[in-house]
Amino acid sequence: MQVVEELNVQIMEKLNRDIENLALNIRSFIKSQISSFKKKGVVLGVSGGIDSAVALTLCVQELGKEKVYGILLPEKESAPSSRTLGTEICESLGVQYEEVPISPILESLNIYEKKEQIIKRTCPEYDPRIHKTSLVLPDFLNQGLLNVPYIRLIKDGETVAKYRLKANDYLELIGLQGVKQRSRMVIQYMYAEKLNYVVCGTTNKTELVLGQFVKYGDGGVDLEPLADCYKTQIYALGKFLNVNEEIMKRPPSADTWSHYTTDEEFYWRMPIHVMDQLLYSQEHHLPLHIIEKNTGLPRDKIEKAQRHINKIRDTTEYVRATPPIYYLNR
Amino acid sequence: MEQIKNVIVDYLKANSFMDKGTNLEDNDSLTQKGVIDSIGLLELMDYISEKYSIEIPEEMLTPENFDSLQGITNMVKKLAK
Repeated sequence: MQVVEELNVQIMEKLNRDIENLALNIRSFIKSQISSFKKKGVVLGVSGGIDSAVALTLCVQELGKEKVYGILLPEKESAPSSRTLGTEICESLGVQYEEVPISPILESLNIYEKKEQIIKRTCPEYDPRIHKTSLVLPDFLNQGLLNVPYIRLIKDGETVAKYRLKANDYLELIGLQGVKQRSRMVIQYMYAEKLNYVVCGTTNKTELVLGQFVKYGDGGVDLEPLADCYKTQIYALGKFLNVNEEIMKRPPSADTWSHYTTDEEFYWRMPIHVMDQLLYSQEHHLPLHIIEKNTGLPRDKIEKAQRHINKIRDTTEYVRATPPIYYLNR
Repeated sequence: MEQIKNVIVDYLKANSFMDKGTNLEDNDSLTQKGVIDSIGLLELMDYISEKYSIEIPEEMLTPENFDSLQGITNMVKKLAK
């Protein structure tokens, strides 16, 4: 019977199933973790995105609004909608919140200036007065190109140029961008310790598997209630919890570039429903014909995508790893 | 042809995760053999572009052109003409 069921598995249906129970289980996880840490509540960075909206709502439902503290952490390159939507969700849930801009920290470390220098030497015609910028990877499914990062120049909403980044510049840029998430982590802990709260993470399973978070940045938290839910399940939770429609519809993004760059453009390189189905298939060792049926992709593309995902998983092992300990007596 | 291949092998020996004892066949996958990762690939692209004074167009940044000694050699030969 189980074999028959597995052969007919509808992945999206599985991921959208039993969401009420999932919400209840996550809520009880949040409560038990906080009490096992002997803390009084949670601090949560509110980005205006779906993940933090879902985590915030579940925390409020379980702990009550008095025990949840929201922090909005915008910077010069954040989309204005991040602030508006973040404020809106905090107010609609009635939680106490505060806005702490991180631009002064970034300015004191010359992050913007260093980033500008990299963009200027990569894109000769770059003019910060007229161009917005973003970092993108080529689409995987349609182009089959390598994971090579490009800086894109955008003028009046249109891409006007695209330049390949050199390895050294890419590495420096990733380090500079990571300061944004790491600054947010520092501030969240400053508040959490003052209130005797924990810091609640918002990383989902898609991000966790792909290493799509900054180590000791947005990954620097005390608990991760959403990290076993694929992004598709986060949307199902958002729908179940009646999260603001605008947040639900907003394309997911780390929101660290002056041009709003979606996770699909830089991380997934394919639509999220395809990525989640591929990740689920790997997790459950589903045979190729089932994956073909679910994703509508031809066999060779699925195999290529699976190799691509395996490579990402390998190269991001370091991001997920906790510091290895050398034990004296083992 | 052989000369390009030797240049690439020397580069990989000095700059990649390749063990000194690894015997790399012309069509071995550099990523699957763990010789280079995604950053290593970008570094290799920079090296090739500089060494042979070539611009690699986006449409040529494919696994077929970069994942083996043979693929890289063919691509360099084509672009350096």
